[in-house]
Amino acid sequence: MSVLEGGAMSPRQLSAAGPPGWRPSLFRALIVSTLLGRAIPAVAQEDPSSACFDCHADSSLTLALDDGSEMPLFVDSGALAGSVHEGQLVCTDCHQGYDGDHPSGKTFASRRAFVATAAGVCKECHFETYTLNLGSVHFEALERGAEDVPTCSDCHGAHDIHDPHQKQAMMSGSCARCHRDVFDRYSQSVHGKALVEEGNDDVPACADCHTAHRVERPRSASFRFGSPEACVRCHGDAELMAGYGLSTDVAASYLADFHGVTASLARGGHLEGTDRQVVVVCADCHGVHDIGSPKAISAEQMKARVAGVCARCHQGAGTDFPAAWLSHYRPSLRHAPLVFLVNLAYKVFIPFMVLGLGLQVVLHLYRVAIRR
Amino acid sequence: MRAQPSAGYVVRFSRWAIVQHAVMIVLFVALLVTGLPQKWPYLEASRWLIAHLGGIFAVRWVHRMAGLLMAVFTVVHVAVAVGGLLLRRFEPTMLLTRKDFTDAVQNLRFYLGRAEAPPRFGRYDYRQKFEYWGLIFGGAVMVVSGLVLYYPIAVSRFLPSELIPAAKVLHSNEALLAFLIILIWHMYGAHLNPEVFPFDSSIFTGKISVERLRHEHPLEWEEMQPRPAETAAPGEAAPGAPASPPPPAPRG
Repeated sequence: MSVLEGGAMSPRQLSAAGPPGWRPSLFRALIVSTLLGRAIPAVAQEDPSSACFDCHADSSLTLALDDGSEMPLFVDSGALAGSVHEGQLVCTDCHQGYDGDHPSGKTFASRRAFVATAAGVCKECHFETYTLNLGSVHFEALERGAEDVPTCSDCHGAHDIHDPHQKQAMMSGSCARCHRDVFDRYSQSVHGKALVEEGNDDVPACADCHTAHRVERPRSASFRFGSPEACVRCHGDAELMAGYGLSTDVAASYLADFHGVTASLARGGHLEGTDRQVVVVCADCHGVHDIGSPKAISAEQMKARVAGVCARCHQGAGTDFPAAWLSHYRPSLRHAPLVFLVNLAYKVFIPFMVLGLGLQVVLHLYRVAIRR
Repeated sequence: MRAQPSAGYVVRFSRWAIVQHAVMIVLFVALLVTGLPQKWPYLEASRWLIAHLGGIFAVRWVHRMAGLLMAVFTVVHVAVAVGGLLLRRFEPTMLLTRKDFTDAVQNLRFYLGRAEAPPRFGRYDYRQKFEYWGLIFGGAVMVVSGLVLYYPIAVSRFLPSELIPAAKVLHSNEALLAFLIILIWHMYGAHLNPEVFPFDSSIFTGKISVERLRHEHPLEWEEMQPRPAETAAPGEAAPGAPASPPPPAPRG
């Protein structure tokens, strides 16, 4: 199967006012067609796919693969209905090169080999998304020769492709299939429960933090330092947080703290080449996939947990050491009164000094001026 | 008892004082350049500066090294000053006296036209003493709070941990105060002041002209003059004559 060959485009596809990403590839297809001297077929009178179903509606139709297994070739004739491509693509748009000698007798090494080859067809239209994937940890594995690496259809499906921006749709089929243990932990978390049990779309699903296509190595320094950004995207959003009675001070107080400053400034790999963890990020205290509500545990438990996190880097940190961290509170007479009072004193003292000294400078200049 | 106004200069500062002032310039600027961007880390200018100084880890390293040097110089300075005073090697001319407060009031009255003449100052006027003691106390605050931030674990073992964030706001605010005082007070007093513009060179050369000394520190000048009983040739003591052994303090 030559999925990459620039075959003739269907008339429907040409007339389809698809999403913007379609246009460059349509243009390319037109040029290729012209260069190859192929005429663009006239508008078909009947559904060009209907011929395919003469055979592929047969549920017993299979293809023997080189590895000895059999691949079912049955396709539900209603498979495209309800998918994002409904009314925009026909069979031969993706399954190209089957015209004359079909069935040709060709086969594939394995099911995975077929899936990997088939993925090449998506980039014909979704080229930007394809290039994002080139930087991902999955593509890296694919290049190393790993077989169980997700390609387009593993996450999005083949015929039955739904809007990938629906969180439920995204979660159900994709990451969890391979990362089952992570998904199980996630679905017990405060975020996962809300998504899985309540269908809440506000909470983050896998791709909100890991991104969908450019999935970074999660233990890399740059992902680690960048991870608070993912948290702050929601926890710094006052409107969103108001709905849950959560404070957006968590983001501001973290970013104002020594560790938050380090995380924000150290991005870009100043730590490359070392395995030193010089900074604590949200996930170190709150957990990653198993994030629970801090309100669900007692203050003493929380303090003990934070003390454990501190001690990971600060050797010799005692149980009182978490008090060095203001626990996301703004300093006030109730929380961290000493910090509050020192700040207040300077808020009065600095303007007092500046105005006093400035006034004396002005008076001196005035004296010098009138003496002349 | 009067020397010629153009008769020359008087040595005002020892080499030790000149060196301390120069070191203080270098350390103070280094600390500001590496410290202020950390105070406002989300300003575009701060991020640019940090990136161009080699990143946040390099900036913090330079800041800590400069801070430790500043701490060492502060301790040595105080030790030399206290030792010198105890051994009576020099006069306690930098200590605050009641006269400094009355001088300040009279000077302001003079600026406002409520007094006929400005106060007559000694070796250091109240403005210089203010800056000197501001540097000593501000320096002590910065050194102590900086060390707390440098060794948070050690501190938390003996003292409440809330001192650490308190030290952070103290360090940050005191730095801003010091910066503003230097910006307003020192830049004016030593540079923009029309009487010394563009630049008061005495802390670099160690010398001050007799004319300026008589004008700015009349009491010191008078004390320097040989008493009538001691000299037969008045007016010859002035040129190049060293002042009484200078104290170690830089001129504010």
